[in-house]
Amino acid sequence: MLDYHHLSITFGDVEAAKAVSFSVRPGEVVAVVGESGSGKTVTAMSAMGLLPRKAEVTGEIVLGGRNIRQLTNKELRELRGNEIAMVFQEPMTALNPVHTIGWQLVEAITLHQDIADPKQKAVELLTMVGLDRPEQRLKQYPHELSGGMRQRVMIAMAIACDPKVIIADEPTTALDVTVQAEILDLLRELKDRLGTAIVLITHSMGVVADLADRVVVMYRGEVVEQGDVEDVLIRPGHDYTRRLLAAVPRLGSGSRQAEAATEPVLKVRNLVVSFAGQRAVDDISFEIGKGEVLGLVGESGSGKTTAGRCTVGLQKPTHGSVELFGQDIARLSTRGMRPLTARIGMIFQDPASSLDPRMTVAECVAEPLVLHKAKNHKERITELLDAVELGSVTRDRYPHELSGGQRQRVSIARALALDPDLLIADEPTSALDVSVQASILELFLDLQRRLKFSCLFISHDLAVVDMLANRVAVMHKGRIVEQGSRADVFGDPREQYTKRLLAAAPVPDPVEQRERRVSRG
Amino acid sequence: MSGPTARRLKVFRRNKLAVAGITMLGLLVLFCFAGPLVYHTEQVLTSLADSKLEPGVNGHPLGTDDLGYDLLGRLMLGGQTSLVIGLAAGVLATMIGTLWGTIAGYAGGWVDAVMMRIVDAGIAIPALFLLVVAAAIATPSVPMLILVIGLVSWLVPARLMRAESIALRSRAYVESMKVMGGGSVRAIGKHIIPNAIGTVIVNVTFQIADAVLLVAYVSFLGLGIPPPAANWGGMLSEGLTYAHDGAWWLILPPGLLIVMTVCAFNFIGDGLRDAFDVRFEGR
Amino acid sequence: MARYLLWRVLQAAVVIFVVTVVVFFLLHQIPGGPARGILGVQATEDQIKAFEHAQGYDQPVPIQYLHYLGRLLQGDLGESFQLNQRVADLIGARLPKTLVLTVLSTLVALLVAIPLGVWQAVRRNRPTDYLLSALTLLIYSTPVFLVGFIFIIVFAINAAWFPVEAPQADTVAGVFADSQALVLPVLTGAGVVLAVFSRYLRSSVVDNLDEDYVRTARAKGASEARIVTRHVLKNSLTSLVAMLGYYLPVLFSGALVTEKLFNYPGMGLLFWNAAQTSDFPILLGVVLIISIATVTGSLLADVAQALIDPRTRRVKA
Repeated sequence: MLDYHHLSITFGDVEAAKAVSFSVRPGEVVAVVGESGSGKTVTAMSAMGLLPRKAEVTGEIVLGGRNIRQLTNKELRELRGNEIAMVFQEPMTALNPVHTIGWQLVEAITLHQDIADPKQKAVELLTMVGLDRPEQRLKQYPHELSGGMRQRVMIAMAIACDPKVIIADEPTTALDVTVQAEILDLLRELKDRLGTAIVLITHSMGVVADLADRVVVMYRGEVVEQGDVEDVLIRPGHDYTRRLLAAVPRLGSGSRQAEAATEPVLKVRNLVVSFAGQRAVDDISFEIGKGEVLGLVGESGSGKTTAGRCTVGLQKPTHGSVELFGQDIARLSTRGMRPLTARIGMIFQDPASSLDPRMTVAECVAEPLVLHKAKNHKERITELLDAVELGSVTRDRYPHELSGGQRQRVSIARALALDPDLLIADEPTSALDVSVQASILELFLDLQRRLKFSCLFISHDLAVVDMLANRVAVMHKGRIVEQGSRADVFGDPREQYTKRLLAAAPVPDPVEQRERRVSRG
Repeated sequence: MSGPTARRLKVFRRNKLAVAGITMLGLLVLFCFAGPLVYHTEQVLTSLADSKLEPGVNGHPLGTDDLGYDLLGRLMLGGQTSLVIGLAAGVLATMIGTLWGTIAGYAGGWVDAVMMRIVDAGIAIPALFLLVVAAAIATPSVPMLILVIGLVSWLVPARLMRAESIALRSRAYVESMKVMGGGSVRAIGKHIIPNAIGTVIVNVTFQIADAVLLVAYVSFLGLGIPPPAANWGGMLSEGLTYAHDGAWWLILPPGLLIVMTVCAFNFIGDGLRDAFDVRFEGR
Repeated sequence: MARYLLWRVLQAAVVIFVVTVVVFFLLHQIPGGPARGILGVQATEDQIKAFEHAQGYDQPVPIQYLHYLGRLLQGDLGESFQLNQRVADLIGARLPKTLVLTVLSTLVALLVAIPLGVWQAVRRNRPTDYLLSALTLLIYSTPVFLVGFIFIIVFAINAAWFPVEAPQADTVAGVFADSQALVLPVLTGAGVVLAVFSRYLRSSVVDNLDEDYVRTARAKGASEARIVTRHVLKNSLTSLVAMLGYYLPVLFSGALVTEKLFNYPGMGLLFWNAAQTSDFPILLGVVLIISIATVTGSLLADVAQALIDPRTRRVKA
């Protein structure tokens, strides 16, 4: 059906793909997995004939007996959307914002088909991808739909002309886990119904386990291993695959217990934050004891980040109080707040923007020391960079010269510079590759055990929180729906929402994942 | 400095127009400021007997104007005025605009709303009209033109810097500094303005280009700096009034020099924009 | 949408208020003060004193401002020194003609700039694109009056295709009747913004071509021509609409220069004549009207954009 044959793609000096060969049979899901820079997206995109002009390609891509590389532009256009279609990662931006859903869907149909009533066909497609009120949806614009609904529209467009192959590039990465589960179910159902082959590009082993029949593992442009999903995921043959699988955080691997109650360092009471009348955070209360890690989990829009920002004064609460070390921060002046700021640190999600691009690593780490007029900067910086396992060579580097993982280590060093009693970490590893994430989490765990700081750890990833937290609070639509010890919340959840969340997170084991899917119903 | 600066220099150098702009500007500065050192002419006392001589006559390579001033020498002198006004007014406007916009954007809320409505009002009153009113109130001089052009031109940079400031204030490195107890002055001075420096620099070049044009317009409307002081805009518009005499040499050279100067700054600004990768609506 | 409209109108009202404060401030900077400004240079000291008292100019400044605002609301912009006419009448007779000039110039500029910008974007970073970029920058860098002057020399004097002077008629209908004389002024006015619009459109189309939705359209099998005309152009033109409002002050400044060059009796020429004779009531009256026109124009442009763009149907600050 679709064959990649000794395909190599180079951009200038960079070899994005090296002699890649694999094939996709009708009705089968082939997952191409790898971390960023593995060349998985470029490889898959080449089948669409949509590589940038400067890309140099050798080898063959054969679709239905025709070598794509020998087709003219016109022939390629007739192929695209008709025999081979695509679903992209970002449903937010992949649709044209100024055209209606209907217009874009009809375009996908009429570009390749001459049918009397394309609108009717569009309605059928929307029904097929599980959107309610399809006639009304046609008149809506992309921004009026949620992320999950937009991804359904993208899928509807992809299947509009009954293609032989769909290339799905990280189709669920931008979505919440519960929505991800629904989209994966939809793809599985469509594949069975239409017999379409799917090339699934993903970094998530859980997604692979859930949907794939076969797996191609890529690392730095090369295919290191390929085979049936069960072989590769359960009995990996290549060392890289083993490392990748070991790095995936798994639910149920956590071991930390709730500590005995101590005087809380952070106490949040009846916190409410409203934006334009909408309650982003709706009456939540929690506290964190000395040396304790509280995991705050929730999907996007649950209010977890806003709640975290309130605890350090970045966001003013509409109601309720935040007490840091026994003092209500709303009653403190900027001056009165200063001594408290020396006792807290914060780590943000995006390693690209967490460091000032015009400061060297040493200057970044020194900033809290300068702000609080600490002494002996030099020694302290050395100590901190050692603690986060960064060599002294990085001292004078600029952030853009560092990898994402290294940058996040610098952020941790900076947050720990004044030996804080409380750390707020907002999704500190979710922008990182899984192997980098594993090493950062290990470092974090180690530092926390050694320095015994308290921590509010905000994350959407239940497995990560399972690894780090003593206690867990689950947020949903601005409220804390459940909170308790890690073992209780994850082992024996009381609330329906928590159960759904736990069930939706895919595990990187195809057999176990199948069972979970079945029990989910 | 390592990385960023070197990379920007490379991008800038690759832009042929930008390099042409720098070269043109260098030549213009040399002509205006070093020229008079080797080419001496009388530029204070008029000599009506030599009025409107054609190029080459009586040892005047570019001829003379209506008051008998040697045109080549006058172009040098006038260029000094045009360049000084453009440069000073452009820098002044960008400085005011940078501070105003950065503070408005960083503060947000009511402060921002009030500060930006003032900017909106300023933008609504076309700069050229204000300049003419100012020229009608007081006789134009170099410092006055610098001040007035600076005061009517800071609004666009203020808008741009506000947008920049809003984008930067929510960057994690600014927020983490705030969490660690840093204040607004440090946030603006140490993080926001340094990271918006590209916008500022590109802005200065475009502002200078616009200021040189504004001076020309004011002169064309007959409200420029009176003689014996000279500037290219004034020379050009005076030349236009003698166009029916066929005195082309009074029009072509100052016109060309103005276009060259404005082009040079615009080319440089274009190159810098690519180098710093900043956005400018409509430029 | 209704909330956005209300917010935007309120904003415009505040801006106009600030403009009146600025003009009021300028009125006080006139040599001899506002009384001299209104009574004229020939008035005696006693007349001035009496007038200042009668008009309340001896009262505190805020009260004076309120009086000024009150007169404005009644449409009273004062009387001209030189022309013995009400400023409001003078402006009222000429504003439509200036609008004719600016609107026509804008249309011509758009007619050239849109295809030019799109064409450059499609052929971006090739020699023709560089050449056109340099050319548009060259036009931008040339003073409007020089462009107009070249037009006069080439098309009016040498070729004698068009008259040197703009239409001199009093009415808009009369102006259109003399349409041949209108060509050069309109082209000159178009030169002011043509470069700005084409450069804006070029960069907007280039940016849009990098967007994800374009990749989606390509993946559907749409041709490049279809992608530009059906997908990208609608996005780019939507943002161009708001740009139009933004460039109104530039258009009016261009009109001032163009009217002077072609002796076109619009508001710009009225303003220029007033500047020569220090006729401050006219000067400040024109500044006020032009500013209000700009604010209103920007408001209309923003509202139009909000109506075209499905995304702005929500409140944006």
